[in-house]
Amino acid sequence: MSDFHYEEEDFSSQFNGGTLIRILQQARRHWKWVAGFVVAVALVSFLDAFFTYLNKLIIDEGILAADRDRLVGLMIVYAAMIFLQAAAVFTFIYLCGILGQRVMYDLRKKVFNHLQNLSFSYFDRTPVGWIMSRVSSDTERMADLITWNMLDIVWSVTNIVMALVFMATIHWQLTLVVLLLIPVLVVVAVWFKTKILVEYRKARKLNSKITGTYNENITGVRVVKALNREAANLKEFDGLTSDMYRAGYRAAWLSALFLPVVQLLSAVAVGAIVWFGGLETQVGGITVGGIQAFIAYITFMMWPVQEMARVYAEMQQAVASAERFFSLLDSKPEVVNRAGAVEADTMRGTIEFDNVTFYYQPEKPVLTNFNLTVKAGETIALVGPTGGGKSTIVNLLSRFYEPKAGVIRINGRDYTEYTLHAIHARLGVVLQTPHLFSGTIRENIRYGRLEATDAEIEEAARLAGAHEFITALERGYDEPVGEGGVLLSVGQKQLISLARAILAQPDIFIMDEATSSVDTLTEALIQQGMENVMKNSTSFVIAHRLSTIRRADRILVIENGGISEMGSHAELMRQKGHYYNLYTTQFRQALEQQYDPFANGAHANGHSANGHHAEENVA
Amino acid sequence: MNINPLPQAYTYDLKQSVSDNRLLGFWRMMTGFRRHYFGAVATLGLASVFSMMSFLLIRYFVDEALQAPNLAAILPSVALGFIGLALLQGFFSFLSGRLTAQTAEGVALRLRNYMFDHIQHLTFTYHDNMKTGELIQRCTADVDTVRRFFSEQAIGVGRIFILFVINFGALLSLHVGLALLSVIVIPPIVIMSLFFFRRVSKAWDEYEQQDAKLSTTLQENLSGVRVVKAFARQQYEQDKFEADNYEKFRRGRRFMLMHSGFWPITDVICGAQILVGYGVAAVMVLDGTLTLGAYLAYAGLLINIINPIRNLGRLIVQMSTGMVSFERVMHVIREEREPLTEGAFQPADSLKGEVVFNDVTFGYDPEAPVLKGISFTVRPGQTVALLGSTGSGKTSVVSLLPRFYDYTSGSITIDGVELRDYPRQYLRRQIGIVEQEPFLFSRSIRENITYGVGREVPDDEVIAAAQAAAIHEVIETFPDGYNTLVGERGVTLSGGQKQRVVLARTLLKNPRILILDDATSSVDAETEDSIREALLRLMQGRTSFVIAHRIQTVMRADLILVFDKGRIIQRGTHEELMAAGGMYRHVYDLQSRIEDELEKEIASVGLPL
Repeated sequence: MSDFHYEEEDFSSQFNGGTLIRILQQARRHWKWVAGFVVAVALVSFLDAFFTYLNKLIIDEGILAADRDRLVGLMIVYAAMIFLQAAAVFTFIYLCGILGQRVMYDLRKKVFNHLQNLSFSYFDRTPVGWIMSRVSSDTERMADLITWNMLDIVWSVTNIVMALVFMATIHWQLTLVVLLLIPVLVVVAVWFKTKILVEYRKARKLNSKITGTYNENITGVRVVKALNREAANLKEFDGLTSDMYRAGYRAAWLSALFLPVVQLLSAVAVGAIVWFGGLETQVGGITVGGIQAFIAYITFMMWPVQEMARVYAEMQQAVASAERFFSLLDSKPEVVNRAGAVEADTMRGTIEFDNVTFYYQPEKPVLTNFNLTVKAGETIALVGPTGGGKSTIVNLLSRFYEPKAGVIRINGRDYTEYTLHAIHARLGVVLQTPHLFSGTIRENIRYGRLEATDAEIEEAARLAGAHEFITALERGYDEPVGEGGVLLSVGQKQLISLARAILAQPDIFIMDEATSSVDTLTEALIQQGMENVMKNSTSFVIAHRLSTIRRADRILVIENGGISEMGSHAELMRQKGHYYNLYTTQFRQALEQQYDPFANGAHANGHSANGHHAEENVA
Repeated sequence: MNINPLPQAYTYDLKQSVSDNRLLGFWRMMTGFRRHYFGAVATLGLASVFSMMSFLLIRYFVDEALQAPNLAAILPSVALGFIGLALLQGFFSFLSGRLTAQTAEGVALRLRNYMFDHIQHLTFTYHDNMKTGELIQRCTADVDTVRRFFSEQAIGVGRIFILFVINFGALLSLHVGLALLSVIVIPPIVIMSLFFFRRVSKAWDEYEQQDAKLSTTLQENLSGVRVVKAFARQQYEQDKFEADNYEKFRRGRRFMLMHSGFWPITDVICGAQILVGYGVAAVMVLDGTLTLGAYLAYAGLLINIINPIRNLGRLIVQMSTGMVSFERVMHVIREEREPLTEGAFQPADSLKGEVVFNDVTFGYDPEAPVLKGISFTVRPGQTVALLGSTGSGKTSVVSLLPRFYDYTSGSITIDGVELRDYPRQYLRRQIGIVEQEPFLFSRSIRENITYGVGREVPDDEVIAAAQAAAIHEVIETFPDGYNTLVGERGVTLSGGQKQRVVLARTLLKNPRILILDDATSSVDAETEDSIREALLRLMQGRTSFVIAHRIQTVMRADLILVFDKGRIIQRGTHEELMAAGGMYRHVYDLQSRIEDELEKEIASVGLPL
């Protein structure tokens, strides 16, 4: 219904030191870059403070002393410092910017590779949207912490320290006034930034709610209109946007108040300097240039303080991001290679479920003491109600999950003694809802066997019955399928995923038949394709189509986590049990569909918004 | 909680802000907030004046106060002067910030609400042709860009301009020649930054595009995790991700390189300007044409002019993206709404439910009619069944009744009044629709049932409706009963359960005319019976339109219409149609043929092998 995830932004209000250290460790490999930008930005910061001191010298030793040579000399130093600072600025933007990109790249790579190894159970309980946020926004925040936040801290600290050093050399007593100012500034800045951050968080949460509401109102616009809900919905929405206004407005005026307050504090200090400094000039304790420098240092002091407050607020976010990110990175795959697991070239052979028990939650067993032996090359059809355990059987066989108790043997050997790769490389799977990747048709079929030649790909497509429609496309095999295959019909996607499985030349073939109906021609092609792949493999089909069921060597009716009936089609029909009922219901439906005189014009409708819908079958 | 923060946000119809001139459009969009905006600009100007004056105070301090014999007496007032100026500057800049926020957030609030309401008033035709994602993008990201235009760029450009004028004016008052010398560097800096930020924003776009691509790769990998694992393609996926990931890194690096080039260069240029200014001013002091105090004031003012200019290019480039978003928002606003309450006939009572179609033609695209010459009559309380293939026009017929679309020619009357004369809102209140794919909102089950009733509904009524729809017992098993949320954050309902919630909703709404659009087709067999019963209960006493493509569903209808290619090809009761032969009979006969074949099938396996 909705693809929008209400992104939860929960922050631990305190710094988790361990997490912070772990974030910083991400840059350990690149410590030279870090050292480089730290030195560069420290230099920039030092020069920022030094320029003010130079100005003092220009006033006192150049202008007031009326020493033109000294003036020229100072100007030359000034010019040199400008170039030096520019070089340092270049260095820190270059190092910090690229390091940030690099760290993000590393983190994304690390987490993606980790994700590839996680087990199904993880993906079952974790929404895709949540994972996506970890990979995109959290990596960015962490990289920012290592780079720009760190840079800002170095700059701020250096700047304050150097300013204090220069001030002390000018007049140490007056410096004490400034020292009083700093803690006040820090407290005020942190207070404001924290308040502002709270409003920002509120606004962000509201924003995702607003997006969700838009989404729902647009996708459900038919219902909204049919039920005359416009006014009521607007009123509700107005509640959200009004809250959003308040959060945005509050954040804005807090920010607008922040700077003046800090400036006012500085002005008090400036006033004090002017007062005492002015008196000091009479006794020669300080020069005009000195007072000017003090004023400049104090006025400028608010910037590093405000930077540090901002960084403090952002670091909280980064730590919270990192906590979520690391929770993903630390999750352990449940299905892993055992020590001493062996590769094997083939998975052909007898498949045996020996007293297999499985559950997702201990209190709800899905399979209990399940036993089954399948000979190599056999075709097994699994039928039965949703939730009966059919999918679990094939998921266990595919070793997407492992039995909680009992053993599955392939070719007489506990399948956990093989590597995962050994099993998966010999597996061919066609899902109920075929999944294609963006790219061309050729690329999607090649997914089954990466080293396959174009000729082999075409051969697989032919066997799957997909060749015809592919060559009819404008660009043939090089036709792009669109994101998730949106440019193709469901039937076409099924044919391509069949071709993909055929190309893999699997020893074990697993197919979860689609329930949605496709046109008769496609249906026939799919049947033919399945037959081609089943010829050379041991096959398990979660079957919905009569022809598939009838052709199976053995049919298993799976109910309540066990086999309730087993046998050939004829045997089961004679039993007149569950299978008989299932089959006759489905038979009627299939014929109804087949004979439906209305079914021909199915795509005549140009009005696509609510056109075609899938018929559901029972099995 | 929800007290309107801004009354003026609701009185102006944004439709009036539509203009071909984008600046005029922005201007109109500020209606009701213009005083705030100009207040923000004016207070910003005042703040800049006081900030400038503190430099002049430095001049006074150095040139006059320090030379004065009664220095000790003057100093406190000079010190207070600095504090006072900071106070004034702070006060006005705070005021300016507040007024800016009021403008920007107010415009955004009004725009968000307007867009939301506008969209739910746009025609079905518009929604049929517009992608959801695209529309959401415009309502959220684009609206936010417009907000930022008002909060940052519109005021930011004004700020730079005001800072320039005021500080430059002060410089002129100090020394004309020096003032002119101090701004030579501004034109090249502005041009350079404009050029630079234009390229940077392009580089940024490319970076973002790659980011989108990387997201797609990631998303496809995550949602296709079964395929990836089943084919053991982890390494392949890692390589694919690596390629996209590296490309993002490369583009990000390029973006950063551009920055690392631009800032040092402008640093050097601005630094040179400052240095030259200081040097010339210093020499002038030595030559006696400038006082020391004026030198100090000059030094401060110069920096106040130069530094903001460096950001002008960035602001201007951002403004152009603001313009693009504004256009995209306006594009939606330009669309016409469908009037809900307009109608020549304003009925006081409920409908009786007599519906007459007379030679009705209709097409979503007027060029390609999907209904041709449709005529039929339904008396109050009767049930009409519409039978036919997908695309034969059944759904189009019933979509005309609530005036979701307006027919092209012919006449439809309800209770003898032309449909066009009824207000849409009235019709929709009188008509209940149960669609093939039930749509529920992410609210509680209770809210979903009462959604659209338009009044406070007591609990026992809700429960009665749920019982009649055969869903009460299911709801009771949910953790929070009727308060359980539907969807991601609550329970996931099966197709049949959703359908029954919709039935309860429709029962509660108590419409006079009922439309059942293939209401049982997406439901599994176990629940079909209970739904069928609930449906029959719902249909009692209402004029009902039932769309189906299975004969059993329609046999009991008072009138059966068989559709093909936008025309009615057969009509009558079940008995009449059976007698008449033709398509209907053909469909019916299939049923018995199916039973025959089934028997044969069973017989074939029944024989010993």
